[in-house]
Amino acid sequence: MDEHSGSAFAFEGSWKEYAPIAFSNLLLTIVTLGFYRFWATTRTRRYLWSRTRFIDDSLEWTGTGLELFKGFLMVLALIGLPFLFLQFGVQALVIRGMGGVAGALAVSAVFLIFYLGGVARFRALRYRLSRTYWHGIRGGADDGGWKYGWSYIWKTICGMVPLYLMVPWSMISLWNERWNKMSFGPHGFIAEAKVRPVFMRFLLFYLAPFLLALGVFAVLATRGTWVGSTFLHTNYPPAIAFIAMLVIILGVYALLGLIALAYYAAFLREGIGALRLENIDFRFEATTDDWLKLFFGDILLVVATLGVGWLFLQYRHWKFFITHLEAYGEIDLDALTQSSTRESRHGEGLLDAMDVGAF
Amino acid sequence: MIETAVWHYDGRNANRWHPRLVGDAASFRLIGEGWESGPWAWVDLRALDIAGRDAVFGHATEPGWRIGFADGVIPADIVPLLPQRARYGGFIDRIGLGKASMAFAAVAAAALFVGLKAPGWIAPLVPQSWEDGLGDAMVGDFGGRICRTPEGDAALNALIAKVDPEGQARTIEIANIPMVNAIALPGHRIILFDGLIAEAKSPDEVAGVLGHEMGHVEHRDTMAALLRQLGLSVLLGGMNGTAGSNLNALLSLSYGREAEHSADLSAIERMKAANISPLPTADFFQRLDPLDDDRRDDKKAGKDGSVESEAVEAANWFGSHPTSRSRAELFTKAHVKGRAYTPALDSVQWQALKTMCKRDRNVKPAMGMGL
Repeated sequence: MDEHSGSAFAFEGSWKEYAPIAFSNLLLTIVTLGFYRFWATTRTRRYLWSRTRFIDDSLEWTGTGLELFKGFLMVLALIGLPFLFLQFGVQALVIRGMGGVAGALAVSAVFLIFYLGGVARFRALRYRLSRTYWHGIRGGADDGGWKYGWSYIWKTICGMVPLYLMVPWSMISLWNERWNKMSFGPHGFIAEAKVRPVFMRFLLFYLAPFLLALGVFAVLATRGTWVGSTFLHTNYPPAIAFIAMLVIILGVYALLGLIALAYYAAFLREGIGALRLENIDFRFEATTDDWLKLFFGDILLVVATLGVGWLFLQYRHWKFFITHLEAYGEIDLDALTQSSTRESRHGEGLLDAMDVGAF
Repeated sequence: MIETAVWHYDGRNANRWHPRLVGDAASFRLIGEGWESGPWAWVDLRALDIAGRDAVFGHATEPGWRIGFADGVIPADIVPLLPQRARYGGFIDRIGLGKASMAFAAVAAAALFVGLKAPGWIAPLVPQSWEDGLGDAMVGDFGGRICRTPEGDAALNALIAKVDPEGQARTIEIANIPMVNAIALPGHRIILFDGLIAEAKSPDEVAGVLGHEMGHVEHRDTMAALLRQLGLSVLLGGMNGTAGSNLNALLSLSYGREAEHSADLSAIERMKAANISPLPTADFFQRLDPLDDDRRDDKKAGKDGSVESEAVEAANWFGSHPTSRSRAELFTKAHVKGRAYTPALDSVQWQALKTMCKRDRNVKPAMGMGL
């Protein structure tokens, strides 16, 4: 089966078709005090997957709400209860003046969360692949992600130690490590993303605050005005000076956010672009402009609909992802046999609890 | 005899087959070119999402096994044999979205009601020894920060004899912490902070606050609040909160308006029995009311700087005790005109109490508590 037209992936849903799902999900989630959200997520995914065409057939989501719910319960048992104990225990220790022991416990707790966060990221990707079917074939991973958790810790720390300059390396390296363990059918993914293509973007993000600070000081120096950390002296009334400061600070944050977005756009392009599955090469073509449109479109949609649009963000994001995803190459259907990876029986509870995305 | 064309994935490789489906009301076989599979029982089929316009069915025990009817066209004799597609999930589909929503809402309302009320029901059932053990484990001796001098202890005991004549509290102590605060702890323990003693202008004010905390002890509000917090953190995942904020969480254990009100009533009862005037306590509430801006401005003009931090500290105590004004009124109303009240402590005792933490050379400083 050849595919060179550049539209291997297509999204064929419509928001009108999705609306009844979104609204009934909201209703049921409210009346069940949030417990329906696991089933709501499942319904949304089933719809989005079923409207996602890859070459000649749509994807299929076979995950269930019960799985996600079990994942959530697992998090409660694995982390929630020990932490509850830790919370009261640390409190008691502090009050009793055993601050050292309390600190040690707290630090180890932070590391545990750190480790499990890495494991969760891995397992969420594995779970999603193992529940995604195409032509009756699914993905998965044989690895449980326990080793990845350690990599996650040391690579993240190594990325931060040299003044955060190694962050792109740690992100790319973890991306490769994660994806190289994943498979679809009998074929393993091969991820060979490089740091160099994303590093310049990162440097832009990295240096922006310094350049900004430099610029601000240059302006202030020429005007002879001094901004200290404790007082602000201008000829303007204090209220206006305060508002001006606020605007500047918010502006800096917004600018940094946008530059971060530019970096993330480059990161995903490199990450997905360097991903291979047997004879298929993937590409992700969303530019920074596309991301900006998505981002401001989200804001506009939510504001203009007085919040109702929030229900459609997941839909928008998936559509964005699929629209910009491409695949080239050929698939040997005879050789694409069923995955032999073990299916985990619980969902991505850990990940949900820590609120991190799958990619 | 049933016979129709379907498309088929066998779940073993990715080829799409186009066999004939041949069977009866119980089961069927799939017959392709040079291959055959089955028998497959109709009851094992599961309805899946419609991909494109096709109607797709999976098999209960065969992952990836699919049959599809092109364009959703299913021969009439097969339709009754096929399962219905799930929409919202299991039981909601059976009774309908509207009814299910109402049923859920009713259960949710009941759960919320029970969740809010249950701690109050369960708390009295917790054996006292458990609660005592829990309180001691959580607090111990407050890290050596309990102030003790012979004169101060005598004064405190004199105050306790008036406010808690039946000895309902296991311990009532003063801690060397410069916060305007007092807490009732699990295990019938009360801790008055030295900052509160310093802020109080008379022993009667301390008696009022102590009476209020005695009310919490008497009604076992602390245990109920603890259970409520426990339940909430379990329900909400208990993932928030760093070690540093834990003590603050303990301090701000919220008892709810009702419990605060009945603790106030208890304080008034106790003061009445001990012939202590409730007016100074009313004044104390008024004075520390963080909303009382005029007064605070006056103070600020007078002393500058330090008072503002006092006001912030005072906000601690009142943060969990809303409507200070109405409480001040409650205590004012309890005052009986013309009655000859006696002070809670004489001036020598009061001085001993006020200076207890300064004079105690063994007490540890408040630093290092993460406050």
